[in-house]
Amino acid sequence: MSQITFTFDGQDITCDQTSSVAAALTQAGHRAFRKTEGDAPRGIFCGMGVCQDCLVTIDGRPNQRACMTPAAGGLQVQTQSARPALTKPQDRTLTPHRLTPRVLVIGGGAGGLNAAIAAAESGAETVLLDERKVSGGQYFKQDADPTRDPLDAQQRAGRDLVTAAYAAGVTLIQSAEVWGAFDGPEIMATSPEAVYAIRPERLIVATGAYERPATIPGWTLPGVMTVGAAQTLWRSYRTLPGRRVALFGNGPLVAQVAAELVSGGAEVVCLAEAAPAPWSRPVAALDMVRRDPALAVKGLGLLSKLARNGVRVSHDTLPEQIEQAGDVLRVTYRQNGTLKTVKADAVCLNFGFQPQNEILRLLGARMSYDAQFDQLRVDRSPDCETSVPQVYAIGDCCGLGGAPAAAVEGRIAGRAAASDEAQPTPADLSLRARHGKFQDALWRVYAADRPLPEDAPPETLICRCEEVSKATLDAALADDPLDIGALKRATRIGMGRCQGRYCAPVVAGIMARRQGRPLEDLSYFAPRIPIKPVEIAAITAAETLLDAEQTPDA
Amino acid sequence: MLEPDLLIIGGGITGQCAALVAADAGAMVTIVDMQRNAGSHANAGSLHVQMQSRFLRLNPHLADNLESSLPLYMSAVAEWQALDAALGGVELTQQGGLMLADTPAQLDFLHQKAAREQKKGLDVEILYRDTLHRLAPWLSPHVVGAELCRNEGKLNPLIANRKMREALTARGVRFVQDQITHITDGPRPIAHGAQNYPAGAVLIASSWGGGQLAQPLGLRIQTPPEPLHMNITEAGAYEIQHLVQHAERPITLKQFRSGQVVIGGGWQANLARDDSAAPAIKPDSLLGNVALAARIAPGIGGLRVLRTWAGYNTPVDGKTTVGAVRDGGRVFVGLPGDAGYTLGPVVGRMAANAVLSLPQAVDPEPYSPARWRA
Repeated sequence: MSQITFTFDGQDITCDQTSSVAAALTQAGHRAFRKTEGDAPRGIFCGMGVCQDCLVTIDGRPNQRACMTPAAGGLQVQTQSARPALTKPQDRTLTPHRLTPRVLVIGGGAGGLNAAIAAAESGAETVLLDERKVSGGQYFKQDADPTRDPLDAQQRAGRDLVTAAYAAGVTLIQSAEVWGAFDGPEIMATSPEAVYAIRPERLIVATGAYERPATIPGWTLPGVMTVGAAQTLWRSYRTLPGRRVALFGNGPLVAQVAAELVSGGAEVVCLAEAAPAPWSRPVAALDMVRRDPALAVKGLGLLSKLARNGVRVSHDTLPEQIEQAGDVLRVTYRQNGTLKTVKADAVCLNFGFQPQNEILRLLGARMSYDAQFDQLRVDRSPDCETSVPQVYAIGDCCGLGGAPAAAVEGRIAGRAAASDEAQPTPADLSLRARHGKFQDALWRVYAADRPLPEDAPPETLICRCEEVSKATLDAALADDPLDIGALKRATRIGMGRCQGRYCAPVVAGIMARRQGRPLEDLSYFAPRIPIKPVEIAAITAAETLLDAEQTPDA
Repeated sequence: MLEPDLLIIGGGITGQCAALVAADAGAMVTIVDMQRNAGSHANAGSLHVQMQSRFLRLNPHLADNLESSLPLYMSAVAEWQALDAALGGVELTQQGGLMLADTPAQLDFLHQKAAREQKKGLDVEILYRDTLHRLAPWLSPHVVGAELCRNEGKLNPLIANRKMREALTARGVRFVQDQITHITDGPRPIAHGAQNYPAGAVLIASSWGGGQLAQPLGLRIQTPPEPLHMNITEAGAYEIQHLVQHAERPITLKQFRSGQVVIGGGWQANLARDDSAAPAIKPDSLLGNVALAARIAPGIGGLRVLRTWAGYNTPVDGKTTVGAVRDGGRVFVGLPGDAGYTLGPVVGRMAANAVLSLPQAVDPEPYSPARWRA
């Protein structure tokens, strides 16, 4: 593997040539990448381009996400200030493309890849947009270096799936981030080299989910990140988030990532699960084993591997506070009612997932609230079509269902989108139902009581982007805002770069409980374009795609 | 519920300012608002004074209306200054507004416009290239000159709306959510929604919803909403102090104290899909509006657009309507003609003064609803 060197605030950083800027900085021991308006340091948090907290200036271009930017020799990377000077950026050539495929798939994970393969194999011209440089999504999480052997069967299966997509004739466009979804549907996306305006005949949304952290004091400190961010550092870049790692969360991903980090040489100083031990829920546990014995066995193998390395899962355990203690982070947590502390270089959080349903909401697809998972689920027909004709949705962007279910849904939607005559096969329908029942049993095993955000201490940051505290939220709630939009305007909660992805579930729940109303689509912030912040240079390039006569005020 | 002295329909800036004036005069006030797509909640905080080239281009037949309203715009700015002081600061700044020209012909148009505005008492001046670029070094070199209107400025509507609400709550003004569908005129008029609201007087201050309430009472006024597109960027260093417009292209551009750049200027959006939705964004407006802004101020090209939204402007006929629906009646209207957020405070005050028979600082006669009477 050849090495490259770039600079961070003038200091040389050497890394693998396939590394991301974020992974290279982490490897070199840097945790803080930017300063907020309130002068607080921030670093990697989500690791997947959602949170917008790992921003750096690269070669004079401000606010670039370190986690999504490949490292390259000679880059000049700088700590991002809160307010960069208004300097005209160097001109870049972004090639405008207008595409009109039969099928457009957004998302290159388990669902999207299967959908694209099914559509292409049914004879449809199929384009797939993936925001990551290497497809595979969060479940298959591919190595950034294609020459390295896959870490395990999961990574190998993902590589095979990407190969199959190319073989099926799918046009894969990577590093392409969707920022606009307009009625039509018309999709706008940007990559480092190009801008795209795409009007497909059929759209399949397969945008997956992002992680729910714990909104506790200190959750914004550099070194605190989602479990998935730590996993990406290791699986894609063979970089550890830190030497000593503490993981807090709910669900099977947490222990899996702990085992992966251990195999990478990390010391897992705490592996905490919010739910009680599975043997305290034998009925649900047995049901889960019965639904998918292979997966259950895999889970047990993982736990025994962790035990061999001296790591035991601490059940009934929740983090309460994270503080900077010199060079390390100190976590105060409660295990079965007892307060304890642990020190670590990195603290990883995952308390479930939120569907990335921004595109679906923008297009007006009907949503229903799911109380078990505390999230919106898009309403769908049996072949995964939403209430918006010709717009399909599959996988975790519809509500948590797991990668195997996403794969089946991908096949169903891919065929349906390619041909109006296609019907889901009985085999696929029964497989989908089986995966659904397994997920249901799994989350009954992992069901955990979690404290309500209403009870968070006043200094807790509810909105990490705009740095709005629980105390400010409480003051605004005292005025009885009519809806979440009024609360947003009063507090700035949800107005930041992450577009409310982390605070929306928290404040939507608080508002609904205060008003004694059920959660629904309107309980959340109104969806807004751009879906992710978009560079003005990309907009200028995309403008050339407009028809000349479409000027306003004509 | 006690019957209020004044029931105000519409909780935007006009209705709120009317409530403030009336409450300070001792009146018991209730504001009823349907809480959907209020223009004031979507507003981006430009304080307009000079005639907007956009309005003149779209409505050449209404140019005289706009020109005759110029003194009202100056009173509006004075009203905002008073409000800024009374509310404890709403980030009001008055560095002035620049209307830019790229060509000699555009500059010529600005010369003529400035001459007309000067006659109406506006503090305007034509700036040529060197002076202009010294004043605003972030401008593109393509800009050859500009009209500077020193009366213009900007404020932060998020702060203004929040502080206004606090001020009204402190004065005992009540807020009710309801959608008023019609009004029964009389010595004690009644506004009807899901509930009935009898009051000593009723003020229609519901901008685009105002026309349909006033029409059955005998005013032939149309108030269709004009859905307009807006954009905001992430924060950059605070360098753009002026409110910026263009002589020919539709744009307003300004920077908040937060460092965020707000880009608008009358690009169209789509009417809301249904009652629960907000007006929807058109891709052409987003691309065209932002690209135009980056051509005028290339330095913003390094920032990213964080959010777009659309809100309803209500241009009516370019001239404010304020006063009693019929002479001696107890139903009143307060409807700014275009630029509702700029004009809201002064129109609100005039409306409250009319309701309470208080002396008017601005002669309301030119803005009387009489011109709409059948």
